[in-house]
Amino acid sequence: MSNSNSLEHDIKTLIIEALGLEDISVDDINSDQTLFGEGLGLDSVDALELGLAIQKKYGFKIDADAKDTRNHFTNVASLAAFVTAKQAA
Amino acid sequence: MINFNISQWRAWAPGLESADDWRAWCQAPVLLPASEASPDVSFLPAMQRRRLSRLARMAFSVGWPLAEGLQDLPLVFVSRHGETPRTLDILSDLANDQPLSPTQFSLSVHNAVIGLWSILRNETSEMTALAAAGDGLEHGMLEAAALLNEGAPAVLLVISEEQPPEAYANWIHDVPFPYALGLLLTPGDEWQLELRTGTVQHTHTQWPHALNLLRTLLTEQGACQHAWKNRVWNWQRKP
Repeated sequence: MSNSNSLEHDIKTLIIEALGLEDISVDDINSDQTLFGEGLGLDSVDALELGLAIQKKYGFKIDADAKDTRNHFTNVASLAAFVTAKQAA
Repeated sequence: MINFNISQWRAWAPGLESADDWRAWCQAPVLLPASEASPDVSFLPAMQRRRLSRLARMAFSVGWPLAEGLQDLPLVFVSRHGETPRTLDILSDLANDQPLSPTQFSLSVHNAVIGLWSILRNETSEMTALAAAGDGLEHGMLEAAALLNEGAPAVLLVISEEQPPEAYANWIHDVPFPYALGLLLTPGDEWQLELRTGTVQHTHTQWPHALNLLRTLLTEQGACQHAWKNRVWNWQRKP
């Protein structure tokens, strides 16, 4: 598994655990599947909870008001790219 | 004094689910062993039920079947102690300088259960969440009677108590095990509830009063009494 795939796998696990998605496994989430509203069907409370879980796990701050934050949370692939960029910074 | 009918009931505690389970327990009540068991709420979509605590699951499991087929059904939700496990989690995070979980926070408030009830049932009738010391059942009953008096054809009264975490054990003595009771109340005079005031010796009852009421209901007794501070509540069934 490449590094980016392994990061995506970790983020999927984080989503399932932090949001209590008992009936869903890592294989059920596609990396380019929309997370909020459509797709996986997460809601605004999930967005806050997931933001918190990512900050805790990867040790950086997310600016909730920054206008590109919403784009980073589009899907697992965009989240992985965001985490990679933050960790490189 | 208020009058009403208890049209239907439902109750849940670990290991006690069916009406027959409760009839047996009411005849010979025993302390239930500690349990992590939670009621089945599979009638709710998975995405909706995943965040529900046991307190909320208990309330939904007793309330949902009673509300079946009824629209515009006001709800009175009573819990003396509320979401103590969530509260402890949040306070522990605060004490450890950890950020608070938005989910835990949003669902720790006392009216979270009725908010979820409203969303999941698309119900916009009047709903109330009460926490009223040791006689919450009776205060909930008063609220329900007021709604019946205003013209509601039926009111749902739900009492739900979670067993508090060990950290609260020195302060909370009235929840021997987690339990919930749902009563579907309708106008009528089969039951009356009367309040007398006076200085009374507080007698510690072994079972929560909501379950004592259920025992009165299921063992065909005519009356029961509940005293709290200077309030003496007399429940009486029409002979």
